[in-house]
Amino acid sequence: DLLQWPQISKCRSPEMETFSCFWTAGNFYNLTVPRILQLLYKKSNEEDWKECPDYITSGQNSCYFNASYTSVWTPYCVQLASKNEVYDKKCFSVDEIVLPDPPVHLNWTLLNTSQTGIHGDIQVRWDPPPTADVRKGWITLEYELQYKEVNETKWKELKPRLSTMAPLYSLKTARDYEIRIRSRQRTSEKFGEFSEILYVSFSQIGIGCDHCTEEVEFPWFLVVVFGVCGLAVTVISIMLSKQPRLKMLIFPPVPVPKIKGIDPDLLKKGKLDEVNSILACHDNYKTQLYSDDLWVEFIELDIEDPDEKNRASDTDKLLGEDHLKSQSCLGGKDDDSGRASCCEPDIPETDFSASDMCDATSDSDQFKKATEKEEDLLCLDRQDNDESLPSLVNTDPLHRHRNIQPENSHLWAHFGDSAESPHPSVHIQISNQNSLTSTDFYAQVSDITPAGRVVLSPGQKSKLGRAQRESCTEQNFTMDNTYFCEADVKKCIAVTSHEENEPRIQEQGYNEDGYFTTESLTTTVANLGASTAAPPSSEMPVADYTSIHIVQSPQGLVLNATALPVPDKEFNVSCGYVSTDQLNKIMP
Amino acid sequence: MITKGASLKGLLMVALLVSHMLLTKEGVTSLPICPKGSVSCQLSLEELFDRAVKLSHYIHFLSSEMFNEFDERYAQGRGFIAKAVNSCHTASLTTPEDKEQAQQIHHEDLLNLILGVLRSWNDPLIHLASEVQRIKEAPETILWKAVEIEEQNKRLLEGMEKIVGRIHSGEVENDIYTPWEGLPSLQLADEDSRLFAFYNLLHCLRRDSHKIDNYLKVLKCRLIHDNNC
Repeated sequence: DLLQWPQISKCRSPEMETFSCFWTAGNFYNLTVPRILQLLYKKSNEEDWKECPDYITSGQNSCYFNASYTSVWTPYCVQLASKNEVYDKKCFSVDEIVLPDPPVHLNWTLLNTSQTGIHGDIQVRWDPPPTADVRKGWITLEYELQYKEVNETKWKELKPRLSTMAPLYSLKTARDYEIRIRSRQRTSEKFGEFSEILYVSFSQIGIGCDHCTEEVEFPWFLVVVFGVCGLAVTVISIMLSKQPRLKMLIFPPVPVPKIKGIDPDLLKKGKLDEVNSILACHDNYKTQLYSDDLWVEFIELDIEDPDEKNRASDTDKLLGEDHLKSQSCLGGKDDDSGRASCCEPDIPETDFSASDMCDATSDSDQFKKATEKEEDLLCLDRQDNDESLPSLVNTDPLHRHRNIQPENSHLWAHFGDSAESPHPSVHIQISNQNSLTSTDFYAQVSDITPAGRVVLSPGQKSKLGRAQRESCTEQNFTMDNTYFCEADVKKCIAVTSHEENEPRIQEQGYNEDGYFTTESLTTTVANLGASTAAPPSSEMPVADYTSIHIVQSPQGLVLNATALPVPDKEFNVSCGYVSTDQLNKIMP
Repeated sequence: MITKGASLKGLLMVALLVSHMLLTKEGVTSLPICPKGSVSCQLSLEELFDRAVKLSHYIHFLSSEMFNEFDERYAQGRGFIAKAVNSCHTASLTTPEDKEQAQQIHHEDLLNLILGVLRSWNDPLIHLASEVQRIKEAPETILWKAVEIEEQNKRLLEGMEKIVGRIHSGEVENDIYTPWEGLPSLQLADEDSRLFAFYNLLHCLRRDSHKIDNYLKVLKCRLIHDNNC
């Protein structure tokens, strides 16, 4: 056994009015007589140690200081001593050692029960410890309530509160509960002793649920069902919300061909005319054609058709280099038909600025160059075009334009293909007007020399008159295009104008725009053609236009000598593109 | 978009300010019925006492915690407890030491005593807040509490003066006051001595704040609730 000295175990004040000190005697057998131990105390402002005034009231091995001996905020020192020896000493002040007594008079009342009667709420009430003078505010207490079921081991706690009542919610009516409360001074941390245990039994007041003794088990089944449903809903909502992505995962989008291809339908139906026209727009496809055997094969299939004699030359046409000279496209729409790359007749919107952004930028440059030259030609610029005009006939653009026409029975059927397509005819006709003298704006090509020169038939002066008589109505300009060239202006205004006027007008038109629409030219041509037809000229009724029936060779043009009937207004298709059907209508 | 951002920022600022206001006060100060500085606004005596009790309780709570922290941090190895017999500078003020004395003293005298104690602590608290920062590695909580106590003490003094003005018909006595001369001890070079001085000061602060809290509760129960709290 270890030798244990007498010790002061604790000093405690229950209400801040009195206090007591307790000690243990130890196992000194020499000091078994309890009275030998003394407790001496001293206030801080005193010099002498005094003996404990009351050894009895607080029990054995205790010293009780009543109110007269207690000064709350005064520091005390107590020591445990025998005659000569001091065993222990403690210093404190009374406000530090406050440990209230437990509350008394615990009781509970039923607040309400649940509908099923399984659970109930109760209100627990108690009184503060009788020793604590709470009413006069000398001490402020707070209480902590603990409760548990009778057969449980762990107590549940409520938050400390100042009031002397507390509700307990959702207690099982089938079970009995135990409640205990303890208190402490509000600003200290230590609690006093627990009160007596309060027993709560619902059956005593008659609401005990005898048949509810069965434990409501955790509804696993319901949890699983609802969990699955919730999960399904979540998944569905995720699917719906992220549909694009999911859709992409499940159904990856079929890539739309981004290259300006050709509508296979065209090929199937054997409309190589269109195909050629399309291909003419894309110089890039020249190499593709060569590299892509598929095209060649396809074309070869078409050749096998005996009814289509034209097809025989189609391969040559398609494969011929000159047929696919650089021409920039007018159309800018990306479409499988391919035709839309060029100026699509049934496409109302025509963004010619976009049309320039075709594949071959170099082509567009060339085109621009050519256009300028053509404008000079067509529009009869202020500057002297006389020099340019005659040279035009021999210049490359003319050649090129002429040769560019890939095939075709109808030269001006392909006006829509490129802005340059009508150039040849115009050029051809203009070339007649080498000088600003009285020459027609248009002239008929009468012959083409082997050297590649175009021989124009003498113009008809009466055309001027005819042209004059033509009234210019704007509606003739089936203007789907955003701009028109001097050709339109010429047609309209230049009707009454001579050649001398023409340059002016064409100046206007030229200034207006660098481009001209095929349709305008077409209409112009048409009107002039109409005007041609109306009054017979004294001269040979040479048609202003002649359709190119066959392009025999890169260098050859075979023109129909037949006069053209008056084209109707229906001729003026939106883009100036004349379909073969329309031409067939017109042509004899 | 810019205005939207500005308005959002403004909203955030307001939210921050409000939350700061609410958090720093820790429920001690309810929103005043009387705005600050208004002369004509009159709070009831009960309301004044409620606020005073709240403040005094808060101050005691802070000082108690501060003392405990200081004790844990600095005092354990130094045997300060053994030297707990200390004398506070307010010991010269004869304040009631037990319940009977507190019940017997006249409420006006008690109020004056309370005021005297509060005034006596004005100066030490200011120096405490500044000197405690010089303690080596002082925890942030101690620093913060020192500043807070000093602030709240001022407010309690103001409130008490108001209460005294209401209750006391005559002149308010200003002579109850104990000067504090412990500043040099807080600035001692020797760290042990300096810490011991802090220990004593914090111990005294805890005790005096407990006194004031108790007196105010007694007065409140006596004057407002007629001894039936």
